[in-house]
Amino acid sequence: MENKKKKRMILFRILTVLALIAIAGVMFIIGRGHTVYFDSKAVTYEGTTVEAPYKIEVYVKGERVAKLYEGERGMAGWMGQNFNMELEITAEKGGDSVRQAVSMTLPYNMDGIILNIPALLKGLPEQAYLSEFIPAAVEEEATEEVITDEFGITDEPGGGAEEPAP
Amino acid sequence: MNENTLEKRTFKERAKEALKDFGLPRLIITGFLLLLFILAPFVGADLPTQITNTINRFSWNAVMVLAMVPMVHSGCGLNFGLPLGIISGLLGATLSLQFGFTGPLSFLMAIIISTPFAVVLGSFYGWLLNKIKGGEMMIATYVGFSSVSFMCMMWLLLPYNKPDMVWGMAGKGLRTTISLEGYYSQVLASFLQINIGNLSIPVGALLFFALLAFLMWAFLHTKTGTAMTAVGSNPTFAKAAGINVDKVRMISVIMSTWLGACGILVYEQGFGFIQLYMAPFYMALPAVSAILIGGASVNKASITNVIIGTFLFQGIVTMTPTVMNNMIHMDMSEVIRIIVSNGMILYALTRRTEGAK
Amino acid sequence: MNKNKVSTKPSRSIGELLRDNSVPLMFILICAVCIPLSGFSPSYLLDEIITRMGRNVFLILSLLIPIMAGMGLNFGMTLGAMAGEIGLILASDWQIVGIPGMVLAMIISIPISMFLGFVCGTILNMAKGREMVTSYIISYFINGIYQLVVLYLMGSIIPIIHNSIKLPRGYGIRNTVSLLEMRQKLDNLIPLTIGGVKIPVATFIVIGLLCVFIIWFSKTKLGQDMRAVGQDMQVAKDAGINVEKTRIISIIISTVLAGFGMVIYLQNMGNLATYSAHSQIGMFCIAALLVGGASVDKASIGNVFLGVILFHLMFIVAPTAGAKITGDSMIGEYFRVFVSYAVITVALVMYETKKRKAKSRAGEQLAADQAAEEELSEEQ
Repeated sequence: MENKKKKRMILFRILTVLALIAIAGVMFIIGRGHTVYFDSKAVTYEGTTVEAPYKIEVYVKGERVAKLYEGERGMAGWMGQNFNMELEITAEKGGDSVRQAVSMTLPYNMDGIILNIPALLKGLPEQAYLSEFIPAAVEEEATEEVITDEFGITDEPGGGAEEPAP
Repeated sequence: MNENTLEKRTFKERAKEALKDFGLPRLIITGFLLLLFILAPFVGADLPTQITNTINRFSWNAVMVLAMVPMVHSGCGLNFGLPLGIISGLLGATLSLQFGFTGPLSFLMAIIISTPFAVVLGSFYGWLLNKIKGGEMMIATYVGFSSVSFMCMMWLLLPYNKPDMVWGMAGKGLRTTISLEGYYSQVLASFLQINIGNLSIPVGALLFFALLAFLMWAFLHTKTGTAMTAVGSNPTFAKAAGINVDKVRMISVIMSTWLGACGILVYEQGFGFIQLYMAPFYMALPAVSAILIGGASVNKASITNVIIGTFLFQGIVTMTPTVMNNMIHMDMSEVIRIIVSNGMILYALTRRTEGAK
Repeated sequence: MNKNKVSTKPSRSIGELLRDNSVPLMFILICAVCIPLSGFSPSYLLDEIITRMGRNVFLILSLLIPIMAGMGLNFGMTLGAMAGEIGLILASDWQIVGIPGMVLAMIISIPISMFLGFVCGTILNMAKGREMVTSYIISYFINGIYQLVVLYLMGSIIPIIHNSIKLPRGYGIRNTVSLLEMRQKLDNLIPLTIGGVKIPVATFIVIGLLCVFIIWFSKTKLGQDMRAVGQDMQVAKDAGINVEKTRIISIIISTVLAGFGMVIYLQNMGNLATYSAHSQIGMFCIAALLVGGASVDKASIGNVFLGVILFHLMFIVAPTAGAKITGDSMIGEYFRVFVSYAVITVALVMYETKKRKAKSRAGEQLAADQAAEEELSEEQ
């Protein structure tokens, strides 16, 4: 009897641990964050040159995140792999705009992804419109603002008085 | 023959006991410091300079560590409320400067002025601790914290007006650090100072500590002193023997507070600055861990513990950064200090002790 | 004999009621004076209070279970906070964002919290009778270990991919880790604004769940055991309860909850001050709990909510009120620091004096009983 109860207990614990690991795994998949950069510039791929339109407006989750004229870049954060956006393209100045929904799968291992919108719209293959964004070497940071809601006492727990090296 | 073996065994046992008394953490710390001293010349650190630094820091801090002794003796536990004593010292220091004393006289006056504060605050503190026997250490910690944060307001509000002490713009409110140049900076250290090459010994400061330590030792052998020890080791017995437990505890707390006040003044004369506001906040912990490293426990402490402990603690504090930096180009001294000092306190708190709770 | 009975009877006169609730009353008084002086509008104050409730209540609730087990105020909750921070650092390095990032951080924090809680509980079992000061020192000690891990091992032994959170020297985490992609994701999950006051509904739901859990837990066998241990360890032991284990479990639960609480706290802040975010969190939570009328041996969910409201109200209005009174804004800042510490001091003193009184009363009772017995035997 006692033994059976113990066994059930152990089983229950193992199941809990497995469930937690499973949840963590799911979080890895659905929670992967990407920064998507939108480029609106002319691109040449295997001989075909694609010109950038006059203006592209990018909407992500119903919110306009970028308004790009030729040669400009915008960005937006995204969670997960299935990326959806809506583009509002104005081909020429003063012309009518066309709205177009685009959805695509983002590569898991890239933090920052550059999308070349003209190439994407033209239907060129992936290597033409998608590239990885590699941040420039981190410059020496300026004094960053630390936001805390508590009082501005910097203490060093367990430390002593601040003594300069004698 | 038989007797001889018996004696041998007892000797062995005694050695074992001594080792056990000494404790594993203490052994590790001593070993660590020895290792640092051995390593120092190899990694290119100048040994005499290192020793000078260690002795200097010893002379700055020893009195504050000594302040732990009376309260431990009377069974009040480790004096986490040391900031209260430090506050009295700071009041003495700032008032002495404000009244226009300079040079060595300002040091003497600082001690004299801080004494009434130490007595008054110490009496209040002692009265409080008498009401809450058994929970001294936690409450002492918070009494210290509260008094420091209360004084933060006072430093701003009290009508100090000496130009080199207050903020230049407003003309009121004390600065966070006040230079003691021209007042009592190095006043003890430079007295009878010995200089041999890179090695210099602040004899005056050491003598001052020796004087206080001797007085403490002498006091512990007076009637009141022995009563104090009795109260600490067995309060029930002490009560039965007709000792006024509360009064003895009160005396010990006042003494601790006064020594804390002197301690901070000695520290300032070495350091060269008065540090106000949040500076006294965490000053209790290094002193507490120093005396514990020296072999004291929650209810037992001696002058020897103070000397050994301060030397070991300050040795590690000064040696680690230089040796570590020269060896692996990584300054981990801060982290090591936090782990060592708090680990030591933790070790002492978990020892089963009789008498004190 | 008769006189004795009167003194032991728990009579609650108005005076005693006032004394028992002196801390909350004092705070109501402080707030009543400071609020008009500060000149803040009620809607601003309400908004701030609601935000701060969402931010802090979970953390404070984590203190309740050790109090139930008679281990006093768990200053060791800082350990859980550190575990939560490690979870957040890793999650943000792996670029897991939003609520999944929070969940992942919490899951990572669980094993760390459990381990630290176990260590803490074991040490506290070795220091019975002075749990509070010991847990307080443990928090400093583990802070040293935390710094060792985060400042030296992360990036050198524990792989950290992104340079944006690493120090320029190549190892160690920067002073601030941005949690921008996680910022207020839980608070804004279910958006609701009433009269200009934003209400973090989802956070309150999580807090509500925790409250339900605590109430449920106190009724389980384990919860009852904890109460028994809290009342009298010897009696509990005689009743066949494994005292040591029960105490360790209470600390583990508290630490794990504190880890979750820290993740919620930091998602609201939107960034992580790597080396200082946890250092005072224990002090604030404990002060808030005590302000709500809790004592070292008795605390309820109601105390938590009342405490958060009063404590943070004081926190918001004190600097401006102080500036109005004295003309110096720093005074108010120092004043609220002082009040936080003073509250803890007063609460500790009240608890210890009460304990001593109860002890001496028990002693008197015993002596009286013995005298009565002797009388009885003499009569016979």
